[in-house]
Amino acid sequence: MSLASLGGNLLGIVPLGDIVFYLNPLHLFLFVAILIFTFLIAISHTETQVEAEFGTLGDKKQSVGLKEFKARRFLSVICGIATAGAMITGDLYNFTLFMSLVGILNIGIISSVKQIGVLDSVFQYGLIAMMCSLPLFGGAAIVLGACGTVSLLAIQSMKPTAMMIFGAIMLFIGVCGESGIAPFFASKAEMFRTPGSPFLLIVHLSSLFIIIRAIEIVLIICT
Amino acid sequence: MRIGDIWNKLATPKRIPRLFALILGIFLIIGFMVPMGLNVDQLYPREAPQVQVEQGLAMAPYARGGEPLVSPGITKSAYPQYAPKLGWINSYVSPLSRFVMSLSPYFGTSIYSSPGGLIDEILYYTRGFDTVLESSILMMAFIIASWLSVNYTMNRRNDSENIKKDVKIAISNSDLIASEVEQNNIKAHRKQNRRDN
Repeated sequence: MSLASLGGNLLGIVPLGDIVFYLNPLHLFLFVAILIFTFLIAISHTETQVEAEFGTLGDKKQSVGLKEFKARRFLSVICGIATAGAMITGDLYNFTLFMSLVGILNIGIISSVKQIGVLDSVFQYGLIAMMCSLPLFGGAAIVLGACGTVSLLAIQSMKPTAMMIFGAIMLFIGVCGESGIAPFFASKAEMFRTPGSPFLLIVHLSSLFIIIRAIEIVLIICT
Repeated sequence: MRIGDIWNKLATPKRIPRLFALILGIFLIIGFMVPMGLNVDQLYPREAPQVQVEQGLAMAPYARGGEPLVSPGITKSAYPQYAPKLGWINSYVSPLSRFVMSLSPYFGTSIYSSPGGLIDEILYYTRGFDTVLESSILMMAFIIASWLSVNYTMNRRNDSENIKKDVKIAISNSDLIASEVEQNNIKAHRKQNRRDN
């Protein structure tokens, strides 16, 4: 499938040697949207939750300290920027690098919640993210071996071979594990209900955006 | 089995990595059956292993032809139209390397022989922006990973109560282990004595 049928007409390219960014409406929309969300997250404050206590009529406030708040905001903003980079890049290897950065940041953002239940599930999520560096970079390497290039503009005109399709699916498994598995992750609801919610939302948001982009890339390679 | 049961089983965080690893493993095994179709028209071509050695070139496996700023050597670019000055410096070597080259015909096989000009060409000309971008992304990832591991695992200056508790646990654990070791020692001594007698 050509780039035009996936993301709209090519608006232009930014030639930087072998690294050629190409701009089309889909990528620009995703890029601007994630930057707007990142800005909203950067100016927002953490939620303070009120929990009812058992046995008494008292309520317990759960708030986030200033230091933790700053750390989380920093991680979320970087996560947003990395996701924006993954949206706009026209290079498969850069996409995988942005993915691994997003994976690390996701683990960081969730693991800053100091609750035992959440930390337990973050540990499992971290296991998946670590496992996924194999299919992520391995898939990109297989695609590079099969195509001879990692530039998506050059790959789109190639005829798909079995090895290219295998590499693309492997890459997709890697992307799923690094970030995309988060929406399906069992205790994600728990993670979101913890104090400091708006920052945790970037995890969900980035995984949604990245899955869209990953599907586009897989279609570019496979068809 | 009803689908609700399956969902409930999947809802345990512990099972997700195992399931994922299983799927990944099966997929990788399938990978052995995929025919290898490497693209021969790779970006950075290379001659057959012994050809340059037999030609007697001092840069043997890495000779790229051309003379810096005189004639272009062999460097391939994915988009030659965006790199018009390709290959002009790819056979540049530093004066020191040139001196070693004049002494030894085996310069190309040594560890310090990687031609500087070629690396410049690839890193800063054809993939110029990428060199900056990729290394900055990787650096960001490493900085954040190390910052996380320092602040969320090692740095515990602020939670002194936890540290006290942990120290107590550690002391009692080590006491337990020490006593176990001692008892085992005594047992072993007794056995040995019995054998000797």
